[in-house]
Amino acid sequence: MSVAAAPRVRLGAALSWWPAWLLGLLVVCAVFAPWLAPLDPDRQNLLARLKAPGFEARGAVYWLGSDELGRDVLSRVIHGARVSISVAVLSVLLSGVVGVAVGMLAGYLRGWVETVLMRLVDIFLSIPAILLAIITVAVLGPGFVNVILVLALTRWPRYARVAYGQTLAMADRPFVRLSRAMGAGTPRVLFQHILPNISGPLLVVATLEFGLMVLFEAGLSFLGLGVQPPMASWGAMLSVGRNYIATAWWIATFPGLALFLLVLSANLIGDRMSDKIGKGR
Amino acid sequence: MRPLTGLLTGVALAVLALPAFARDLTIDLTGEPSSLDPHMQWNPDSYYVYRNIFDNVVTRDNDGEIVPQIATEWEYAGDTELVLTIREGVTFHDGTPLTAEDVAFSVNRIIDPEFGSPQLGQFNQIEMAEVMDGNKVKLTTKGPYPALMAQLVKLSVVPQHIVEEIGKDAFNLAPVGSGPYSFDEWNRGVSVTLAKNDGYWGQEGPFDTATFRAVPDAATRIADLQAGAADLVVGLDSDGAMQLTGNPAVKTLSTPTERVAFMGMNLDKPPFSDPELRRAASLAIDSVAIAEGLLGAGEVPMAQLSSPAHFGYAEGIAPYDYDPEQAAEIVAGKAELAATPATFATAPVFDQRVVQALQQMLNDVGFDISISMTDMPTYLAAARAPDRAERPELNFGRWSCACQDADGIAYPLLHSGSSWSRVNRADLDALLEEARTSLDENVRLAAYEKVHQIVRDDYLVRPIYQAAVLYGARAELEFEPTANESMFLNRMSWSE
Amino acid sequence: MLRFLLQRGGQALVAVFGVVTLVFFIQRLTGDPVLLLVPETATEQDIEAMRATLGLDRPMGVQYLEFLFDMLRFDLGRSFVQNAPVWDILVSRIPQTLQLAAGALTVALLIGLPLGLIMALTRGRAVSRIIMGGVLAFQSLPTFWSGIMMILVFGVWLKWLPPSGIGTFGHLVMPSIALGLLSLATYARIMRSAVIDELGKDYVRSARARGVGTGRLVRRHLLRNASIPVISITALELSQLLAGAVIVETVFAWPGLGLLTVQSIASRDFMVVQAVVLLGAFVTIAANLAADILYTVVDPRVRLTGKS
Repeated sequence: MSVAAAPRVRLGAALSWWPAWLLGLLVVCAVFAPWLAPLDPDRQNLLARLKAPGFEARGAVYWLGSDELGRDVLSRVIHGARVSISVAVLSVLLSGVVGVAVGMLAGYLRGWVETVLMRLVDIFLSIPAILLAIITVAVLGPGFVNVILVLALTRWPRYARVAYGQTLAMADRPFVRLSRAMGAGTPRVLFQHILPNISGPLLVVATLEFGLMVLFEAGLSFLGLGVQPPMASWGAMLSVGRNYIATAWWIATFPGLALFLLVLSANLIGDRMSDKIGKGR
Repeated sequence: MRPLTGLLTGVALAVLALPAFARDLTIDLTGEPSSLDPHMQWNPDSYYVYRNIFDNVVTRDNDGEIVPQIATEWEYAGDTELVLTIREGVTFHDGTPLTAEDVAFSVNRIIDPEFGSPQLGQFNQIEMAEVMDGNKVKLTTKGPYPALMAQLVKLSVVPQHIVEEIGKDAFNLAPVGSGPYSFDEWNRGVSVTLAKNDGYWGQEGPFDTATFRAVPDAATRIADLQAGAADLVVGLDSDGAMQLTGNPAVKTLSTPTERVAFMGMNLDKPPFSDPELRRAASLAIDSVAIAEGLLGAGEVPMAQLSSPAHFGYAEGIAPYDYDPEQAAEIVAGKAELAATPATFATAPVFDQRVVQALQQMLNDVGFDISISMTDMPTYLAAARAPDRAERPELNFGRWSCACQDADGIAYPLLHSGSSWSRVNRADLDALLEEARTSLDENVRLAAYEKVHQIVRDDYLVRPIYQAAVLYGARAELEFEPTANESMFLNRMSWSE
Repeated sequence: MLRFLLQRGGQALVAVFGVVTLVFFIQRLTGDPVLLLVPETATEQDIEAMRATLGLDRPMGVQYLEFLFDMLRFDLGRSFVQNAPVWDILVSRIPQTLQLAAGALTVALLIGLPLGLIMALTRGRAVSRIIMGGVLAFQSLPTFWSGIMMILVFGVWLKWLPPSGIGTFGHLVMPSIALGLLSLATYARIMRSAVIDELGKDYVRSARARGVGTGRLVRRHLLRNASIPVISITALELSQLLAGAVIVETVFAWPGLGLLTVQSIASRDFMVVQAVVLLGAFVTIAANLAADILYTVVDPRVRLTGKS
């Protein structure tokens, strides 16, 4: 490859990672929200409700318009990044760790451990997510932390099921059998041999789950069970904005766009990663 | 950029090209009726439907006055005895005549503890109903009960012979009444269809059939109306109604109701155990901005726990002042107490814009209020917790007794014996009891005026506005909304 | 096989029993339906009287035992809110739920699986990237949003389809698409991932070296082996359909079990919630059982029962 062509190829490769850049931008937005947002996202102005983008009041410009309580949509979208992203990340982590652990143990140890754990998975899968959500909110009170708890509680069986199926297939492989025959203990076999080999599909699930968590939190907000106002995730704003499509389209469109880009970029990245992992085998 | 204006214009043109009007009516409700037996439930969705199948003892006209329906005359034979004269010539949908026995049966059925009606509490001041000669029914109450006529507006007359024969379960599935529409079909979870009663004694309805559908989502109801799939939709708020402006095929209808929106404060806990801080909270709330700026469907700022639609409304009560600077001063003077973290309990059914606006107004003057939104049963359980100290510091409610009488709102919210009330004042108790048991209107009005003044002076509860009800309708539908949110099919018509 | 079925059947019953008991007690922890059934003006006496009428004032243990005995006689109880036998209410909703599930699954499978296969076979080319982008875009919007957008476009503006409710095939189209979109992406991705995994295996390389065509490979081997994760996901999807359907059913006013669940939970209609959970538990556990059995049919390397 000539010297002249190399930088162009590198640029091309860098550009093809645009989902990562996008996600990074959104994360930066979340981290630096208080400094990036021009106005206080919770500051209401009942006289300036539902104003179109570019509206000006009291010397401040509402670049993306104002919402149903006269708050600045731009600032709320910027702060919304914090809520949406942190809820998704934390719930994926929590549910993933628990689910994969349960699935691997069940698939590897078999016997009564498998029975008990997988029936536990069945039990959790049979409880409607809504029921779990409402009960958690009723017992523990509503709020940010409980949304994460609810999401994790309803999603961990998914990881368990996939990890279980993959572990079952993996446990019979010659190299695993060999490792056991040579005296390797369960933790070692699980972590060194099985986990790396089943991580492919699990990673696909996890990145899918990230996007799903963002969407499910939006669904919880739609049902009135999400984060508490005035704190708002993009999903919550989208849910409220649904009622203003014809009259104040900006209330839903900008958070919706942000949410769409967040989920899309996460999904694309996950897809790329699983591609690479598949190639590496 | 208004691409959707173009959309709506297109819709309007398409709709106008359709035939002018159909003989049938489709109504979108928020949920399906839980029961069509008029004595077996208490929810608006059921009421909207069965109120057209059954006649009630008396009813209210569109101005809110009590007028005859099944009872043509009524007079007090004593303090605790009311004699009703029953209308002649009324038949049930199966052809059987409606008699005084049916009326007495209906009353006795609903006050029978064994029957277990949720509405028992509304009618339990009635001890019994007896048939008298000359097609009359005598009602005996436990004590003087001025709200009796208002309560009889809600009592439906059911056919004794049918109910006794088939039992309440079967009657629920195939209700038979004497109203302008008869029951046709109930597709569970989907819709209830009524058919016109051609033999109705009173004003007949204009529609051949009426279908009530359950559509839980407000945005979908609006879409149904705009697409022409529904002719009348309920449960809109002012912002939702704005989506309908600019579309000549549809219109919004509204009227102030007997619902009073108020903010309840827990008087047993800081910060609102302190009267000065309550006053500060009241000064911080801009009722006008909320009623007119935020809501704007006809809501009226209120400074008392009643409204012009209630008996017991006092003209002389001064509106609340709005003075956030003074409020902030008061709060600053009691900064520590005011900074007690307070929970504002609410549920999804309440207008969240109002709750958030209230929270902002209070926090702006120095309080520390955070919203706690849970579902309705959790909210109710917390708001009515037996231990008053457990209750949230603030709650927002929109109260309706469906009786248009101040007794139905002031008594439950203010009397120390009521589980809703956070108030414990002997003077208030005495006034409320006097108003509840005196048959003299002037005595009652005077008592309620004093009650409202006490609440106003001591900031025991903070009423905010009289709520309005909003409907979306086809432009050709003639429908006059009433203060008690009734929907009588035979009072509607198509304009030609 | 028989022993396996009996064993798992027994375990399934225990699991179902566990779910229903758990739900029974948890529900009662969070309030009761009475406050919602009576008017606002009801006094404490009125509320207690209502509780007594509904039998909710008895000790929880007593209520639980009565519930168990009723279940043994296949009596699901009465709804507090609707004053009707729970069985009748369930039966009136099941057909709609089946229709919606069938519709959503059809959309997801018919579109998702082939797309996943194509993506795997055309891997590395632009076509694959574009399809993947499209598939992922479908999965990046909340159902309440795609629902209302479809209603506005196809129901209000174009008037091709009825905006809400049930009745005709046309009513089924939009809810099925809204519900199927989420699953569609899952199926496409899992199928693609599984086929790619298979393509990398030795037997594929050696078959290719022997000159076996792609079509034959696909039909004979790839589909079969790639179906393991697909089956696993289907079992999950079936049981999650109820949860996901809640929002679709709310937006489209589709009277299925999902909407019934959320409304019953919201009104603490205990008996209905228990019945729905029971039904859901049966479906989930049966689906998982079927999936496990299918594993062995498709991949004989997996033994049905195993020891550590």
